[in-house]
Amino acid sequence: MTTVSGFQSNSFSTAATFFQIDDDWKTATGKGVSVAVIDSGIDVNHPDLIGKVKDSVEAHADHKRIIFTPSDTGDSAGHGTACAGIIGKIAPDAEFYSIKVLGAGGLGDGQAFLAGLEYAIKQRYRVINLSLGTTKPQFFAPLHDLLDRAYQAGCIVVAAANNLPQPSFPSVFSSSLISVFKSEELDPFNFGFHYGEIIELTAPGVNIRSPWLGGGYRNLTGNSFACPHIVAIIALLLEKHPDLTPFEVKSALYAIAKQNQIINEKAKLAEQ
Amino acid sequence: MNEQNLPKKFKTLVETIDVANLLTEPLTVSIENLLRITAAEMDSDEASVLIRDGDDGDLRFLSAIGEVADQLINLKVPAGKGIAGFVMSSGQPMAVSDAGDDQTFYAEVDKQTGYSTQIILATPLRYNGEIIGVLEYINRRGSPPYAPFTPKEMDKAAFLAESIAALVNAYESAKLFCEVGDKIMAGSDETDMSELREWLKNLRDSAEHKEMLDLAILLREISSRGDAERQMCRELLESILKFSDSRNETSFLSF
Repeated sequence: MTTVSGFQSNSFSTAATFFQIDDDWKTATGKGVSVAVIDSGIDVNHPDLIGKVKDSVEAHADHKRIIFTPSDTGDSAGHGTACAGIIGKIAPDAEFYSIKVLGAGGLGDGQAFLAGLEYAIKQRYRVINLSLGTTKPQFFAPLHDLLDRAYQAGCIVVAAANNLPQPSFPSVFSSSLISVFKSEELDPFNFGFHYGEIIELTAPGVNIRSPWLGGGYRNLTGNSFACPHIVAIIALLLEKHPDLTPFEVKSALYAIAKQNQIINEKAKLAEQ
Repeated sequence: MNEQNLPKKFKTLVETIDVANLLTEPLTVSIENLLRITAAEMDSDEASVLIRDGDDGDLRFLSAIGEVADQLINLKVPAGKGIAGFVMSSGQPMAVSDAGDDQTFYAEVDKQTGYSTQIILATPLRYNGEIIGVLEYINRRGSPPYAPFTPKEMDKAAFLAESIAALVNAYESAKLFCEVGDKIMAGSDETDMSELREWLKNLRDSAEHKEMLDLAILLREISSRGDAERQMCRELLESILKFSDSRNETSFLSF
């Protein structure tokens, strides 16, 4: 289990108490941790991802329902491949599950995205990358319900914040998921946690070199690419501590970010 | 004027005006002008607007400025394909730059235009909460390598997209009006202009016309509230029609 060394004083913060977590996760590779990417699909033939994607499904409209069938159509946009690639770079032994809800048979509305999340929860994937969201208010309640189900099922959902100045769902929910905003930081381990903000975590999301369609790479900017950084960190934590609950994962992220903050502030002081 | 003649009158009214150009051309010119001004803000000479094409999430280029602008107009991007397709279906902006390999960057479009896209910033066009298209800025002024678009520029583009979205929405409304007109015109009868002018004059002067305008404004207000309201409004109106039809039948039978 996570080493909890109790309440420690933190000279750099008025909120003086925090948990401390040991550093063994930093040497983990995400082995055995299932990671679902709900997105535009994953290019399973990209050199960075060969052999890592265990299953790919895509959404289809079946009358008024949305069903998922095995997919061999890969990635229609490049976005899902980029997200999976970012995770794979940090957690190379994680097991990937692609749930294609964008660009599949003209689908791409909130309904397909909700169905994708429900599918991932039913499969009990441990970490779910949601570099997507919706601003449509009618999806607020169903998403809230799904996120609660994820929390109870032990699935850790990580969502990208909206890049536009308006709230999107589910990223604004705070209790049952982890939401991420982009920072210009380069080191994936040096992420931030901002308790009290709507979007609590910050992770690298500016000019991120990511796998792209056709086996190539692109430099990408957006909250979408900050989200997979945190997903990867969680995969590392879960490999070392497989029994962590969503609540404990969030606490661990908070503790690590606090340590990061102290190290960063000390480094800043040393520079002066 | 007999109300039964209304569809016929409308047919002839639409027929007398070159509606398509009258309504949409000033808007496409304005969108192009806005693209030019905002592209300069982004230190770019190439920009384009893509809008929905049909109901399946496909896109087509509505407006473009830059080297290959003429080739881009009306070019289609299938649903969810490429950066524009992703931005359209996800509603999220994205900035992408070349990571140093030689492949065609924006394959779908570059193949057809011969242009070389190095960096791109794509942001959704939203109007009343709906995503109605995608705004793109491509490459910088000068020669490559270009500095990638920054997060600040992403925010700026989102702001610029708001004003462009309003114009794109006006364009779509105008186009819709034209399409409705075209449908009505199909199979139209002989026109009688003098009768039509007389009918229009009477219509404008009548209190009934004002009432109809009020109703139209009310409908527009309801339909801007969201999908659920639009649906409910449609159902209510259809129920009224059904009720009215059944009442007419009953009255007919009772005679």
